[in-house]
Amino acid sequence: MAVRAEEIRVTGARPGLVARVRALLDREEILGPVFVTPALLLLLLLVAYPFVVALYFSMSNAFIGRPSEFIGFRNFVKLWESDAFRQTFQNAFVFTGIAVVFKVVMGIILALLLNEQLWFKRLIRGVVLLPWVIPTALSTLGWWWMFNSLYSVVNWTGIATGLMDPPGPNWLGQRYYAMAAVITVNIWRGLPFFAITILAGLVAIPKELYEAAEADGAGANARFWHITLPLLKPVLAVVVLFSTIFTFSDFNIVYVLTHGGPINSTHLFATLSRMIGIDTGRIGEGAAISLYLFPLLAFVVWAQLRFVRKQTF
Amino acid sequence: MGPVTRRHFLTTTGAGLAGILATRVPPARGQQREISYLCWNNFAPASDKKMAEIGQRFTKDTGIKLKIDHISHMGPQQAKYASEVQTQAGHDLVEMRMHFPWLYEPQLADVSDVVTGLEKQYGKAIASSYEGAHIKGVWRAVPQYHGMFVATYREDLFKKASLKVPDTWEDLYTAGKELKKMGNPVGIPISQNYDSISTAGPVLWSFGGMEVDKDGKTVRINSPATVQTIEWYQKMFRDCMEPEVLSWSDASNNESIQQGKAGWIHNPVSAYIIAKQRKLVTADGINHHRSLGGPQGRHETDTPRHIGIWKFSKNIDASKEWIRYLIGKRENYDEYIMAGDAFNLPVYEKLQDHPVLRTDPKYAALKGEGVQYHTYGWPAPPSDKVQLITNTYLLPNMIAKAVTGTSTKDAIAWAENEMKKILAG
Repeated sequence: MAVRAEEIRVTGARPGLVARVRALLDREEILGPVFVTPALLLLLLLVAYPFVVALYFSMSNAFIGRPSEFIGFRNFVKLWESDAFRQTFQNAFVFTGIAVVFKVVMGIILALLLNEQLWFKRLIRGVVLLPWVIPTALSTLGWWWMFNSLYSVVNWTGIATGLMDPPGPNWLGQRYYAMAAVITVNIWRGLPFFAITILAGLVAIPKELYEAAEADGAGANARFWHITLPLLKPVLAVVVLFSTIFTFSDFNIVYVLTHGGPINSTHLFATLSRMIGIDTGRIGEGAAISLYLFPLLAFVVWAQLRFVRKQTF
Repeated sequence: MGPVTRRHFLTTTGAGLAGILATRVPPARGQQREISYLCWNNFAPASDKKMAEIGQRFTKDTGIKLKIDHISHMGPQQAKYASEVQTQAGHDLVEMRMHFPWLYEPQLADVSDVVTGLEKQYGKAIASSYEGAHIKGVWRAVPQYHGMFVATYREDLFKKASLKVPDTWEDLYTAGKELKKMGNPVGIPISQNYDSISTAGPVLWSFGGMEVDKDGKTVRINSPATVQTIEWYQKMFRDCMEPEVLSWSDASNNESIQQGKAGWIHNPVSAYIIAKQRKLVTADGINHHRSLGGPQGRHETDTPRHIGIWKFSKNIDASKEWIRYLIGKRENYDEYIMAGDAFNLPVYEKLQDHPVLRTDPKYAALKGEGVQYHTYGWPAPPSDKVQLITNTYLLPNMIAKAVTGTSTKDAIAWAENEMKKILAG
C-alpha cells in the first residue's frame, strides 16, 4: 500500500537522534566545517598559539619564572650589538646557502640516476631514503664519532691511505672545517628529500617529449636543459622552499656536532636561541633570535609560492 | 546488597564529589602524601641506586610516597626546569647544579630552616655551596654534595719520564712539554663547554684576575692578570697540547686520558672512577693531585649540587622532610656519599674528612683542607647577567681567539666589550 508523505508526518513519531544527525550531515554547509574543525583546532592549538606566545615573548623582557613587560622591538635592536648574534646571522646564510645549492645539484644528479633502469631499483630507492628516515640526533651522533678528534675514522682512513698528514684535520675545532662538517651532515641528511621529490617530478614528464626531441636530433644535454629542467621547475621551487626553511631552522646537527663552536662559528638561530633562552633563562631574547628571520622567510615563502602558482596555471 | 542502579550511582558519586569540592579535603584514601623529585643521572650510577633504596625506606618510615625521576645532566635538565617553571607544574623537588638557584630564585621555596638545622649538625656549608644557593640572605636550595676539580694525571708516565708532579700552572708547562714529546699531551679543553670554564677560571684567579668585580657591575677582564693567563694558555697550546682541544666536549678530556692519550687533565675524579669500573688498562696508572696554584694562590673550581623545592609545590613540608631524611640522617647521608665513590663529596665542614676519601689511596688529593672553592664567575655574585657571561662562553672563547691567531690585546678587548654590553643590557 502506498503511503503519502503527509500521512507519515501526521501519524509517525519524530525522527530519532541518529536520523536527525544524519540529515544534518547530509548538508554540505554543515559537513564541510565539521571536517575542517579538528584540523583547525589542532592548528590553532599547536601552531598559532605557540607562535603568538613566541611573538609576545620576543617583544618582552621575559625571563624564566619572572614577571615580564612589553618592550617593543628592543630585543631585536639589542641583539644586533652582540658579536655572537652577528656571527650567527652570517653562519645561517653561509650554512643554508651552501647546503641548499649542493642539495639541489646533487639531488638532480641522484634523481636522474635513480630514474635509469637499474638492477634492484626499488631497493636502491629505499636505501637512498635512509638518511632522511633515521632520527637526526642519532645519525648526527654517528657523524660526531667520525669527526671526533680521538676516534675519527675519517682521519684514520686518510692517514692510513697517505692522503692526510697526522693528526689530520681538526674537524670540529677549526672554524672552516667545523662549518664544512655541519654542512656535510646537513647535505647528507637532506639529499634524499630532494632526490625522491625530484624523481617524482621526473617520472611525471611525458616520454613523448624526449622521443620527439631525440627524433629532432637533440642530445642528452639539450634534452636536460630544454625539457627536463623547465618541467622540473615547479617541483624544484617547492623543494627549495621547504629546504631553505628547514635548513635555516636546523638545530640537531649543530647542537650535537659542535654546540655552536668553535668561537660561535657554527651557531645557527635555533642553537643560539636555545643557549640564550633556556641555558641563561632569557626567553624574551631567545624568542627574538628564533623569530629574527621570520619576516624574510615569510617573504621567501610568498615569492616562491607565487612563482609556483604562475608555473602551474 | 542489591544491584546498583544508574540513578543511585550518580546520586552517590555526585554527592561525594560535591562534598570533596566544598570542603577541599580529599577522602582519607586520597590523603596519602606523595612527592616527586627530579635529579640528574649521576656520573657515579651506584649513587642513583642508593638514592632509590633510601627513598623506599623513607616511604616506609614516614608514609610519604616518593617518586624519583632522572634526567641527563646539562641541556635537557635546564629545558625541563624551564618548562616546569613556565607551566607551574611538575616535580616538587629538583636537583640543581652550581648557581642554578640564582636563575630560578623567585620560583624556589625558602629552605633556610632546613639548612640551618643541617649546619647546626654538620657545620657550615662550604663556600661554593654558599655562593650557589644562598641568595640575598635566603637559602633557596639545600646543599647536597659537590664534585671538586682536581688534576687527573698518568702517574705511570710521570714516573717513567721522571717528571715532577706539578704544584703550579707554571710547573705544568714544564711537565707538559715532555708529555707532548712522549705522545701524551696535556688535555685542557678550550671550547664551548663547561670544563673549559672550569679550568680557565682557576688559571685566571691564580694570576689574580677576574671577569667581573665582586660588585657584579664592573668588568675587570682587561688586566695584566688576564694577559698572563692568555700568555700561559698560548704556550701551553703551542708546546703541551694538540689543536683538538678546540673541539672538545665535556667528556673529551675524560675519554682522552682513559683511552691512553692525554697525560694530564683537569677534571673531577669521574675519569678515574669510570676507568676503574670499566677495568680499562689505564686505570692503574691514573692518579690525582690538587688543582694548581699561581702567583696569587690556589683557587679551585667546584661543582656543588643542591636540592631545591619549587614554590608551586603543594607538598613543601613533605619535601623538606625528604631532604632532612636524606641529608640530615647521618647514616643515610653517609650511605649515599659512600655509594658515589668519591665523586659526590659531602658539603658540610665537619664532614670534609669523610671515610669515602679513604676507600682508595688515589682519593687523597680530594681532602678539602685549605681549598678555596668557587663557582663560575667568582668573585662576582652569580646574577643572571654574570651567568649570561658564563653560559655564552666568553672566557674560553677569548682564550680560543688568542691561541688561534688573534692578538692578546684584541682578544681581551673583544671579551671586555661583550661583557660590558651584557652588564649594561
